[in-house]
Amino acid sequence: MWSSTTTTTPNRSAGRAAFLLLAATGLVSTSFAQTVEMRPPTAAIAGQPNAIQTSGSGEATFYLLGPAHTSKQLVNLGHEIQLPADQLRAAGKYLAILCSSACQSASFFVTAASPASLSFLVHPSRVPVKQENAISGVAFPFDKFSNLVLSPVTVDFQLKLSGGDSLSRPTPTQHGVAWFRAYSGNHAGAAQLVASLGDLSVRRVVQQVASDPCNLRIRAQRTAKGILVETEPVRDCSGNPVPDGTIVTFTETGPGGKSTVDMPIKLGVARVELLASAPAVISVASGVVMGNELRLGAQ
Amino acid sequence: MTRHVLAPGTMVMLALLSLFLLSFRAGAADFSPASTPQIEINTVNSGPRAMEALTQQNVVRHYGRAWQSLADAFDRNTLVSLNDYFVGAAKDQLTGTVKEQQRTGIHSRYLDQRHMVDVVFYAPEGDVVMLHDTVQCDLEVYDGDKSIHTEPAVLHYVVLMTPGADRWVIRQLQAVPQF
Repeated sequence: MWSSTTTTTPNRSAGRAAFLLLAATGLVSTSFAQTVEMRPPTAAIAGQPNAIQTSGSGEATFYLLGPAHTSKQLVNLGHEIQLPADQLRAAGKYLAILCSSACQSASFFVTAASPASLSFLVHPSRVPVKQENAISGVAFPFDKFSNLVLSPVTVDFQLKLSGGDSLSRPTPTQHGVAWFRAYSGNHAGAAQLVASLGDLSVRRVVQQVASDPCNLRIRAQRTAKGILVETEPVRDCSGNPVPDGTIVTFTETGPGGKSTVDMPIKLGVARVELLASAPAVISVASGVVMGNELRLGAQ
Repeated sequence: MTRHVLAPGTMVMLALLSLFLLSFRAGAADFSPASTPQIEINTVNSGPRAMEALTQQNVVRHYGRAWQSLADAFDRNTLVSLNDYFVGAAKDQLTGTVKEQQRTGIHSRYLDQRHMVDVVFYAPEGDVVMLHDTVQCDLEVYDGDKSIHTEPAVLHYVVLMTPGADRWVIRQLQAVPQF
């Protein structure tokens, strides 16, 4: 998988014409250009030494231009040009140029070495329970020189949910990437995601939290100052306690109009003290979820 | 009335100076910034997430600017150009190349770039995009002022881009023989 070209530039042509003119007039000694050939590696792997075979004799200047490397050196034609491992660390296209009387070039490709690390992106970091395709993971295999491994490998995605459920999904990489999507479990808690490839294993944690409140209910009792309204312990439809800090909205509708109070859940319940003296209807909501209504008579 | 007559030597000097200035201008033209890369994008194969129109526009704009800055860095051997659109391994590799070009006196030009970009992967959460780019350009390599390689090149790159604070940046830029 290599190609070879010979570079002829206007400058070089002009120089050659001048040289031939001088040679014809006997001002310089003539030496005819020899055929120089390069044979670059057909299969090169990142981080492994290689060599380019040359033909001809005499000295030439050798240039190697790669994705992360550029070098220039004098070489003897007819010998192998050694390409040390550190010059071939980056996967990609390399251009070898050999200049003696004219310049010749050839290109070759270096491919990534075997996978040495996995880049594993997981979203989101917190997810409500019982959500379809809520968790996603993307894995990229890289070799030890940070080259993307493009040859297909199989990444095993494992999801261990807090309720004890787990799933395993071996996924072959395509174009150097493997990905998966999964549902979130029924129970709040940490879900562990693991991407494995051979001996490589990368772990990520997604915190599963309660979903929207379910069966939101309030009760009320009269106090010296007014009415104390509080929710029953707020839980989602799977029975997970809704996290403290979640806002619950209490609305009092009476002859004087409507008043609204937002209160955060503390220790599993939300409560508010209302100064209701006239008949009123008290309702509760959290996000898009409505709870029950209480009708209170005059005090 | 005073007449100023230039001595023949002075006239020769002026003529030489004019020639020098002309050649300097010509040289300066050689170092003009590379033309803006032409980018065509195809998102038909994008998945698992469909790429939004605005995202396409941004990816095209930022990818084009990245290549323009790459060409600039390789031509002028300046590292500053690489700061805006390259991060991680891509930036490390390009920086290494430019530094070695500086050391060896080599510079290279990617002229008349035309990119056919195929979006082959767009992550479910939209935080990574993988491109397959077929670049047609005129590649020239110089040792000092001497041209050592010219080629109408067709290059294939696998590219990983991620969104930065206000732009898409290239995290991986890896040439392959074919897709």
